Parts: sequence; C-alpha cells; structure tokens
Amino acid sequence: MSDVPAIVLLSLLQLLLVLASAPLISGIIGKTKARFQNRQGAGILQPYFDLAKLLRKEVVVSPVASWVFRSTPYLVFASTLVIALLVPTVVVPVPLDWVGDIITVIYLFALGRFFVALVGLDTGSAFGGLGASREMSIASIIEPAMMLAIFTAAVTAGSTNLSVIVATLSSTPASMLNPAHLLAFSGLFIVTMAETGRIPVDNPDTHLELTMIHEAMILEYSGRYLAFIEWSSQMKLAIFLALLSNMFFPVGMATTLAPWALFVGCAAFFAKVIVLAAIVAVVESTNAKLRLFRVPELLMVAFILSLLALILYFIVGA
Amino acid sequence: MDPTHLQTVGLLIDIFAAAILVTAFLVVSSRSLVFYIRLFALQSFFLGVVALLVVLGYGETHILIAAVLTIAIKAIAIPVVLSRVIERIHVRKEVDFSINIPASLLLCGGMVILADSVAHSILDAQRADAPAVSRVLSVSIAMMLIGLFIMMTRKKAITQIVGLLTMENGVFLSGLSITYGMPLIVEVGIFFDILVAVLILGVFIFRINKTFESISIDSLRSLRE
Repeated sequence: MSDVPAIVLLSLLQLLLVLASAPLISGIIGKTKARFQNRQGAGILQPYFDLAKLLRKEVVVSPVASWVFRSTPYLVFASTLVIALLVPTVVVPVPLDWVGDIITVIYLFALGRFFVALVGLDTGSAFGGLGASREMSIASIIEPAMMLAIFTAAVTAGSTNLSVIVATLSSTPASMLNPAHLLAFSGLFIVTMAETGRIPVDNPDTHLELTMIHEAMILEYSGRYLAFIEWSSQMKLAIFLALLSNMFFPVGMATTLAPWALFVGCAAFFAKVIVLAAIVAVVESTNAKLRLFRVPELLMVAFILSLLALILYFIVGA
Repeated sequence: MDPTHLQTVGLLIDIFAAAILVTAFLVVSSRSLVFYIRLFALQSFFLGVVALLVVLGYGETHILIAAVLTIAIKAIAIPVVLSRVIERIHVRKEVDFSINIPASLLLCGGMVILADSVAHSILDAQRADAPAVSRVLSVSIAMMLIGLFIMMTRKKAITQIVGLLTMENGVFLSGLSITYGMPLIVEVGIFFDILVAVLILGVFIFRINKTFESISIDSLRSLRE
C-alpha cells in the first residue's frame, strides 16, 4: 500500500464513508428512540433532509459576532474530517496512519470543542456562556477518562497508533475477552455518551431546557453554519462508535484491498456500528438525564472503570 | 484436564472476578439503598459462579456445596431480608457522606493498587505451580478494603451491613484463591453466621429506626432516656 494513487483513493473512500453514514446513524438512533416512546418517528433518512434544508437556508449572523463565529463551523468540520481519515473503519492499516495516532485524534476533538466553546461566548448571549462553561468543566473530566480507556488498549498493543492497536488485537482474538479490555470498553462507552452529548449527560433533542450543554453553545447558528456543526456532531458520534467497535472488537476488518475483503469490511462496519447505535438509543430511552452536579459522578465511574482496566491489565496480564 | 480447557476456565474466572470488583465500585458510586442490595446480590452471584468454575476447572468438588450455599444465601436469602427491612423503614437514599462520591471512587481505586502490591508479595512466596485462580487474590484483598471503606464512610445502618457483607465476600474469594476454599465445615459455619447476623441486624435496624426515627449512625451518639 505504498503507491500514491491507492492511498489517495482509499483515504477518499474512508472520508466519504464517514461523511455519508454519519447522518444515517443519527437517523437510526432517532427512529429507535421514537419506537421506544411508542411513536412512529421520522424516517431514518430524516437527518439527510434536515442537512439539505439547512444548507439551502440563509445565514443570520449577530452584528456583534467576530471572525471566530464565522470560521468555527468550517474549522470544526475540517478537524472532524481529519479525524475521519485517522480512525480505522473498514480497512486496517489506515493508509494515512503515519499522520497521527490516538493522541492526535483526542486533541483534534479538543480543538473543535475549544472553538465551539469560544463561539458560545462570542455572541454574548447568556445561554452561550452557560453552555460553554458547562462544556469545558465536563470536558476536563471526560479527557482523563478517555485517555485511560484508550491507553489500556494501547498498552495491550504496545503502541498508540490506532492501526497497530487494531491489527494487534485482530491477530489475537482471545484478548478481546480480556477483563481489562471489557472494562476499558465500558469506560469508553460512558465517555462516548458524554462526549457526543447523549442523554445521561446532555439531551441532544432539546433547545428549550436550561440544562442543555452543546445546544446552548450553538444556539446562535443558522443556515449552512448550523448544517456544518450538526454534520460534525453526527460524524463525531460515528467516529466514536467506530472507535468503540474497532478498537475493542475488530471483527471482519479488511486487511487487503481485494474487493471481497472491502465488501466484508463495510458490512462488518455497518453491522457493528448499527448494533452500538441501538445500544446508545436503548440507554438514552431507559435513563433520565442527570442533574448537572451529578454528571461528575458518572464520569468518575468511567474514569475508575478505565483505571481498573489498566490495573487489571497488570494483575491478570494480557 | 487438557490445557485449553483450563485456559478457558482461567479466562472466565478473570472475567467474573473483574465483574465482582466492578459491582463493589458501583456500590461506592451510588446512593440508592435498593441498588446496593441488588448489586450485593449480583456480586454474590458472580462469586458463586467463580466458585463453580473452580469446581469445573480443578475438580475440587467440596467447593460445590459452598458455591450453591453462596448463591442460595448471599444472592437470594440475604437480599430478600434486606429489601424487606428497607420497605418497612421507608429509607431509600444514602444522603450524607463523610467523603463525597468522586473522592471515594478515587480512594477505592488507590486501594486496588495497594491490594495488588500486597497480593504480589504474598504470591511471590507461593510455589510455582500455583493455580490460575490465585490471580484473583488482589481482587479479594481489594474487596475487603472497599468493604471496610464503605463501613467507614457511609452513615446509614443498611449500608454498614452491605459493607460488612462485601468484606465477607472478599474473605471467601481470598480463601478460594489461595487454598481452593476453606474446609467445608468452616464455610458452612460462616454462611449461617452471616445469615443470622443479617437477620439480627435487620431487626436491630428496624428498632433503631423506631427509637431514633432515623437509621443514621450519627444519631446513635445521642443517648435517650
């Protein structure tokens, strides 16, 4: 996989896959949640229509907003796209795996979050500042938990390179059932729920509650700006689900570029991500949103699960 | 016993030992008394499963009775008794802690590390053909410490019992891990001891609640005429 055209083609394919499947995953979660509430719910393609509609609408910008407000949607979108290039989805190793490892991924997410928090403050609305301060205080607890969970997988593989982690794990399937591994998976799952603004931490469906976090920061956005922000959050969810499934259960991933292997890889990717999306929807439907002051307790549980995973790795061994 | 079979049993024991440790941490992380009881039932069930796995993997049949007793008494009988007590005293939440939940969780994480270093010095002295189950010694020591920690930092009398029972589970697990379980007569003695202790403590809590209108152990300091 050293020739340039193959690398470019494969990277484009991966980019398109994440871009195109992200709204579908949100649609599936929305549909599952609707069924739980005994509603018919919108079709699973609804997020595509929403994005198309938003992209056509006019943009309204507050006169006090600065360049940060206008550039952030593109910045967040671009950083998410770069992450989409680095995370193994269908093929392993990812063609651009020499560009950055898991720490790059974490900090690219942090970059996006930093600018979205700035936007919350930029327009000077009360809601924005409130959302930004909440987002940053929660992020300061999410990050160590996420790091520990990911480092457990990295220690097992002896590398922080995502492709190496995935490849090592798929060559020793027995270690997928290692208790350290399972604990790190549950830790990262809680982190995913918090990081993508899902129900025990934040409610993605509301624009009216005083408890909102992510929605409060992007309240001032409209038109294509909103479309890019929404699309980035959907991709963020897709990327986290891909991380959860491939870093811990890399079953059926393509290791060659044969068409059949790629097809199996795509099918496995969608199967795993849809199962995880359904689990996310079940968790969202069966839990109430936590009070903001209780969120640190939940995230501390995630942190401790990851810490236990790391300790157990040394107790039990891989 | 072929080696792959032993390996599978070893892996399953590791998984269930990790699950036991997680239930202990979840007790530390929650506030609901009902949830404590359910977690304790689950923890005892996992403990019973570990004991059954020891029977399956190493052919120690005398643990079979202890395993069945663990599931019958600790996973079913004691939780039922404790749930009845909770129903009658209408206290559902642990509200005030000596140490808040995030700090408690961190301290308990530290205790696991401590337990692991202690266990290593014990295991290093052990003979070379030690069974795979001896790896869970660290988990059992951690359980004892966490149980003690729960008793020290929580104020409701029910939680004190859960802490005591968690410690007892830790003792059983350590017996299991070092010597394939204590002699049966000792185990049976402990089981009935625990069962009777819980019954008496249950009645005791009910009386405390009636006298002090609270089961917070803080109010036990004030004497009543």
